[in-house]
Amino acid sequence: MMIVGIGLALIAGSLVGLQNIFNSKVNEQAGSWSTTTLVLGLGFLASVIIGVLFEGKQLFVLDNMKMWYWFSGVIGIGVVTCNVQAIKLLGPTFAISIILTSQLVFALLWDSLGWLGLEKVPFSFKQLVGVLVIVGGVFVFKWSERMGNESQRTVYKQSRKNVIAEK
Amino acid sequence: MKGSLFAFLGGAFITLQGVANSRISQDIGTWQTATITQLTGFIAALTVLLFLRNKGWKKFGEVKPLYLIGGGFGALVIFGNIMAIHFVGVTLTVSAMLIAQLTLTFLIDSNGWFGMEKKKMKLPQFIGIAMMIAGVIILRF
Repeated sequence: MMIVGIGLALIAGSLVGLQNIFNSKVNEQAGSWSTTTLVLGLGFLASVIIGVLFEGKQLFVLDNMKMWYWFSGVIGIGVVTCNVQAIKLLGPTFAISIILTSQLVFALLWDSLGWLGLEKVPFSFKQLVGVLVIVGGVFVFKWSERMGNESQRTVYKQSRKNVIAEK
Repeated sequence: MKGSLFAFLGGAFITLQGVANSRISQDIGTWQTATITQLTGFIAALTVLLFLRNKGWKKFGEVKPLYLIGGGFGALVIFGNIMAIHFVGVTLTVSAMLIAQLTLTFLIDSNGWFGMEKKKMKLPQFIGIAMMIAGVIILRF
């Protein structure tokens, strides 16, 4: 189960990477809200198709729904708003480093507290060290990327100046 | 400061999304969760979009068709995310997803795939990825 779980996470993560690149190309032309709407709409369609293939009519049996389940999708609005604003204000390198770090910190918090009735993974010193090493890796990676692209940095600064000038 | 707060909340929301989906799937099933969460997200995003003056969707035609279908991956991402959280917990799932995501982006950038500007990769970037993998090994053993 351990290997299956990590394997699934690796596949999901790769698809997120690919999706980010595709979506950023749509974003350049159509803006973030049109892109988000398209992305979620297609994700919904794909889920319905795959769901019906695997489960047939069972997909539409929703006996144990609780009220808040209908609103879980709205979290996505928070994700898009915060991330778009963060990248606009901080630039991609710094923003993405903080976003990834925060994701990991909350993951650790969630596992240790077992909120929402998920299985608790007891907090240990080892886990904290693991997360800190990963966060260190994220910063080394993101910052070396930025150092390697001085020209892009200039372009970013320039476009940022333009944005400020437009305001 | 405002930017950092947005980034911090943005990361928190991403994790929350995975956790909420994982919780909901215990009650209604995995594909049901992927379907509902994206349907309600779609409706919410469409609502925001309708209030914007500059909608931008007319520009979809100017994007290469391949790039428009990225959203379809969302079904598999949510499925993988939910199952992984059930199997190995949130921390390990998020860590493995980040490593795969950054490594793939790195490969695409260094090879210039999908019309991305080719970037030269340097030693510190390999060190960064190695550190992230080392971190996951520490988490696990």
